[in-house]
Amino acid sequence: MASLKERFSFDQMKRNIVDSQVWRSMFRHGYEDTPRNRVLMVVDNLWLHLHPTKIRRHAIRIRFTWCMGGITFLLFLYLTVTGVILMFYYRPVGEYAYLDMKFLEFDAPFGMFMRNMHRWAAHAMVITVWLHMLRVFMTGSYKPPREFNWVIGVLLLTLTLLLSFTGYLLPWDQLSIWAVTVGTNMARATPLMGSEGPFAELMGVTPRFDARSALLGGTIVGPPTLLRFYVLHCIVIPLIASGLMMIHFWRIRKDGGISGPL
Amino acid sequence: MNTRLKSPEIKFPAEYEAEVQSASSFMDRRRFMNYSGWVGILGSLAISLLGFLRFMFPRVLFEPASTFKAGKPSDYAVGTVDTRFALSHRVWIIREERGFYALSAICTHLGCTPKWFANEDKFKCSCHGSGFKRSGFNFEGPAPRALDRFKIVLGEDGEMVVDRGKDFRLERGEWTKPEAYLFI
Amino acid sequence: MAKEDKVVGTAEDFPRTSWERVNDKIHVWPYLTRLEFMAAIIITILLTVWSITIDAPLEEPANPSVTPNPSKAPWYFLGLQEMLVYFDPWIAGVVMPVLIIVGLMAIPYIDVNPAGNGYYCFKERRFAILTFLFGFLVLWVLLVIEGTFLRGPGWNFFMPWEKWDPHKIVALTNVNFPYLFGFREYWAQAAFGLFSIALWYATIPAWYIWRRATLVNVGFTRYALKAFLFMTMMGMVAKMFLRIAFNVKYVLVLPWLNI
Repeated sequence: MASLKERFSFDQMKRNIVDSQVWRSMFRHGYEDTPRNRVLMVVDNLWLHLHPTKIRRHAIRIRFTWCMGGITFLLFLYLTVTGVILMFYYRPVGEYAYLDMKFLEFDAPFGMFMRNMHRWAAHAMVITVWLHMLRVFMTGSYKPPREFNWVIGVLLLTLTLLLSFTGYLLPWDQLSIWAVTVGTNMARATPLMGSEGPFAELMGVTPRFDARSALLGGTIVGPPTLLRFYVLHCIVIPLIASGLMMIHFWRIRKDGGISGPL
Repeated sequence: MNTRLKSPEIKFPAEYEAEVQSASSFMDRRRFMNYSGWVGILGSLAISLLGFLRFMFPRVLFEPASTFKAGKPSDYAVGTVDTRFALSHRVWIIREERGFYALSAICTHLGCTPKWFANEDKFKCSCHGSGFKRSGFNFEGPAPRALDRFKIVLGEDGEMVVDRGKDFRLERGEWTKPEAYLFI
Repeated sequence: MAKEDKVVGTAEDFPRTSWERVNDKIHVWPYLTRLEFMAAIIITILLTVWSITIDAPLEEPANPSVTPNPSKAPWYFLGLQEMLVYFDPWIAGVVMPVLIIVGLMAIPYIDVNPAGNGYYCFKERRFAILTFLFGFLVLWVLLVIEGTFLRGPGWNFFMPWEKWDPHKIVALTNVNFPYLFGFREYWAQAAFGLFSIALWYATIPAWYIWRRATLVNVGFTRYALKAFLFMTMMGMVAKMFLRIAFNVKYVLVLPWLNI
């Protein structure tokens, strides 16, 4: 019979929990450092099973990978979380959008902090995604059999820039409206599809019906544009990007893991 | 599929000969159903896409009216570029000896609002540095063409009416059209 | 250099035979996961400190009738905005971005050099690396820095020590490229413009074929695509040079489009 002190010791209570049927049903194994358990840690975990159980030694060298792909994904997760938090207060309506930014800054506790984090993580993600591409190029990791994963990567880079650009409009201040005015006026110059582009008269496109007004929901950057960019920023592009990311990660494994000399 | 049936190595019993023959013909029943199925699926996808495309262009736009009253001709001094409507309607009214024209305050490069610099007698765009003469002609910077002029007429109440919905372009030779210039 | 100090990532560092490769594998848990964990913590700390110390900008409410001077696109697009000075919007804003994206996606299919797959090297793929670094460092990084710090009101160029004067006057007397050679008649200058562009795209790739047997190695379609993308990239630089040195506005003027 164990003493009272032993029975209510921290170790014993911990053992009671970890050995319970409830705990066992959720977590199949502990942290024992055995080769078998090392493998189980990876394959029994939904998040970690993106990884193979073993990788080549050079693949964990920071000087080889720069860790940029993983950091980009981490920043994407941060952007998703902070973005969802911001959505609790932000309304994508012409009258309210700017006021909600002020509300976030002055009246919502940690509102400004969440907004800062969202914005700076977005800038950082643009940088890391470019550096990731630079690293992959410099190691020639786009060469066979990884050609198609490079193509997916370029699409993801484009989507990152588009995400950042659509988010740029949402504060609805002078900075955003003019950056987007300049940016979307380029759509007006699209050959064949834009009212100011070459061959516009041949196609019969007008400022009312052209590539730009489809994007803006009107002929000027106004409240309909805000709503459109909001939907693109929060739903459409993240969904497409998530799908492509799944393919991107899956193909790394399918194409023989992280690159190295043949 | 059908090329495989026709390959010489495979010998079919005589009673199937007719079926093999019909299967390899250009259009049999099975192949017709196959094609029409794909046409149906792809066609309905294409029509949905067109419908979505049309959905993105609403029937009504809630945007500022294209016409506005610009006051009486006597409100303007001869030889000035008037900027009173530059902010509200993005139009400059220019009064010359002979009459008026209304110049669009939207840069033809990427749609910024140029500013009027009276000392230098030119409009200068802050986005990419395009410069325009008083007439609207693009003489410097990246702007690909001259500023638009808008329809300007004298209303029955003696006030001038500018219609931003009707533009006149220099490169189409439209500046000489009657409504592009209001003779006083 | 001591062995530990040697730069990792060159071909010699890695095991060559498949037997060595199999034996050289290590467990993801803990060797990779602990690194990922550390990286996540470091990034989290950096991002938190950054977000506490610097506030995201918020300017005046949106006003469609007042254009701020200068108005700039987000910083990562400033390279393209710089291109808008030299090209019409349909090129700088539409054709060029599309070509950049398509060109990047085409890299694995036009670069058929098998060397340098999976390790750092320079000698084995000089052309590929130099071209990519030129596009990356000069046409993106340098132009972004230039657009952020050296472009002031009116999109005028200011040196770092100059004051951003909104009334700075820059004499811009633009001429078209054919005019420099005396072609003034409309269709003559159009023909000369077309001829110049055709010459640009034809001569250097042709010379390269003549010097080396590239065509035999990579095939016609691949080489044509490679040459087109490369010469287009260099053409942007050439046009910038023509503008800065000779005030050339357009190389080609046609009734429908100008380049």
